[in-house]
Amino acid sequence: MAGYDTAGQIQDTYVSARDEFGEGPGFWIRYFSPSPAADIFSDNAVAECQGAWASGGHYVGPVSAPYQSNLSGSTAQGQADAQTYAASMLSAYHAVGPLLLPSNNQLYCWLDQEYSTSLSLDYLDGWAGYLANYNFAGLGTYPLYPCLYCDPGSPYPNCSTMAAARGLNVPAAVWSSEPEPCGSLKNPPSSGAEHCATVPTRLWQYGEQGACGYSANVDLDVGAPGFYTPSFCFSVRSDP
Amino acid sequence: MRSLQRTAAAAQGGPASRALAVSRREMLAGGIGAGALIALPDLSTPGASPAVAPAGSRYVLLYGTPESRPFPGGSVAAALSPVTKSRRLPAPKSVAAKLAAAPVSSPDQSSVALMTVDRLPAGAKVTLTLVDATSAVVEKQGSLTITGIPDGTNILPTPVFAPGTATIAVVLAITEPSDRRLVSKKDPHHGAPVPMHAVTWTSHHALAYFDSRSGSFAGPFHLGNAPALALTTAAANGSDLFLWTTAEPRPGHPGKGRPRPAPLPWLSVFPLGSGRARVAVPSPAPWPGGEPVATLATSDVARLVNGRTVQVSSAQTGEVTQVTIDALNVIRAKPSAVTMQSRPDGTVFITKPGIGRAVIADPAEEFRVRAEVRFPVPAVPLGAPSSKAVLSPSGETLYVLGGAKAGGLSAYDVATGALTASYSHGTTYSGLYQLPAGTLLAVSAANPRLAFFSPALSLLGTADTSLQISALF
Repeated sequence: MAGYDTAGQIQDTYVSARDEFGEGPGFWIRYFSPSPAADIFSDNAVAECQGAWASGGHYVGPVSAPYQSNLSGSTAQGQADAQTYAASMLSAYHAVGPLLLPSNNQLYCWLDQEYSTSLSLDYLDGWAGYLANYNFAGLGTYPLYPCLYCDPGSPYPNCSTMAAARGLNVPAAVWSSEPEPCGSLKNPPSSGAEHCATVPTRLWQYGEQGACGYSANVDLDVGAPGFYTPSFCFSVRSDP
Repeated sequence: MRSLQRTAAAAQGGPASRALAVSRREMLAGGIGAGALIALPDLSTPGASPAVAPAGSRYVLLYGTPESRPFPGGSVAAALSPVTKSRRLPAPKSVAAKLAAAPVSSPDQSSVALMTVDRLPAGAKVTLTLVDATSAVVEKQGSLTITGIPDGTNILPTPVFAPGTATIAVVLAITEPSDRRLVSKKDPHHGAPVPMHAVTWTSHHALAYFDSRSGSFAGPFHLGNAPALALTTAAANGSDLFLWTTAEPRPGHPGKGRPRPAPLPWLSVFPLGSGRARVAVPSPAPWPGGEPVATLATSDVARLVNGRTVQVSSAQTGEVTQVTIDALNVIRAKPSAVTMQSRPDGTVFITKPGIGRAVIADPAEEFRVRAEVRFPVPAVPLGAPSSKAVLSPSGETLYVLGGAKAGGLSAYDVATGALTASYSHGTTYSGLYQLPAGTLLAVSAANPRLAFFSPALSLLGTADTSLQISALF
């Protein structure tokens, strides 16, 4: 099942994406705070969920793209970025009645590490530790799982940093940005995503708007074989 | 906690340690400063005084992550910028590791503030080290102590230069653990429940003010705003500190409850030296966290949000007005790095490489775009370093990373938007900086990671470093 990620708002994006790709997505991945240059899902969560509902893609996964130099920083910096991320997700959850946690209680929370960004172990420990420990909505179920969007083949520290992490600070999954065969939403590639040695690739961005020449403001993503991406996203159960 | 990188020569009283005798003040500074000075002899040209760079040259501080384990955060190295063409430059030397926060440059780029946090039995010591950007010599250093905090507390310090003054405000985000408990959580890799030590974290902020003439601190002034989100945005003019904060949303009871909107951030205006806000007003979204901010010629403060909208806070009332810049109102699937800088003529220079645009806008005319340059989108428009395009000191030339296919560097005439020069030999750079004298620095993934260019895009020299560079100062 393939879906979209976008830095724009879903309600402003889904029509052009449907016109270009001919059908609705299986899921959306949207940006939450801190993502200083993106439109933030929690700033307009009701309208975003209305857009998701109308698009037919009733599942929304979260990603955060902090100021990229932060990822080379300290434990305190990682913790601060994760704290805002968790609060942004909680705010969206509180704002939209039919926006629910995944039924398996595992919400994959992606950190955007771009190609030329270095991930320090101090930052990862602070970031991942906060999310893994977060008592979301006071439920006592700790449903947030830290995960990493990255280019596993990049020469910058990413896989090697994850390999040095311990316990629940180890990201649950990688979302690989490479390779980029492009293609369509209907017929995504079945396999071939790059991977790290210690953390499995569960999601693959196989088509990026700029590189693939898409008109709609979306990148295309597909889950790894046997991985059902919507099961690890927020679900929009009805039209808000 | 920080750790300084001392060379073996220094530890044994060798040449590097003798270099420390250059200045008693510098010796006494200790800490990060000592580390920086130890690096200098290896960076100087043969025969030159180890603490004095060749005429016309200057040092550059590199911030990033070492390329080998254990990948500690917040490392700094110093490199020497060449004056004349030289094929290979001495490698930058490590200065410090585990800074508590990224360095911050003064508005005129003459100084760089480095922040460290050391744990003490009764709290933590926060140290600000002010480094002369030209000579890499410590100008001043001062510390303050935070007491009454539990073990495991994290402190994120953010230095904020107040232009035209000797004051550097420091915003301290203090995040304390409580309610330690053992819980069970499903392991994502094996599916089995595993025990986990959970903690509740609660943040508040404090302010302190560093006098760069005396090296002394005033404060800390605790703001009593818990629970708040640790991330802030801050800027200062000659009289006030502008601070964006957000109350941390917390559930009143478990579960969803009645739908409610996300809290708005607040902007508080503190007279420099004070811990009491003279103004506090709600600010439009988004929450603070890494967006560019600039102090305008009017002393108003601007922050650039969503990559296209400028929110201006009045220097008098703090009230926020906002305007969207049409030329930047282009959305793509992937966000772009964005930068915003004030210019001496009162305009602001804004870059958005993810859409291939840079503009000069005039705050006095509701950010009317005076000049716009369009260029091919670089290969890495979002990754670190965030600086992908720079404006020459005269404002006449825009230098930018080459497009994804060509790589290299390009120069554009700002008045006409025309391409005037380019340099490409197959290298794709990820960041671009310009020193005050005009020398350009380009950053790449593999060694030589630093390449120095003249304003005419002639390669001056290259340098290797073991640091993966996230920013230059």
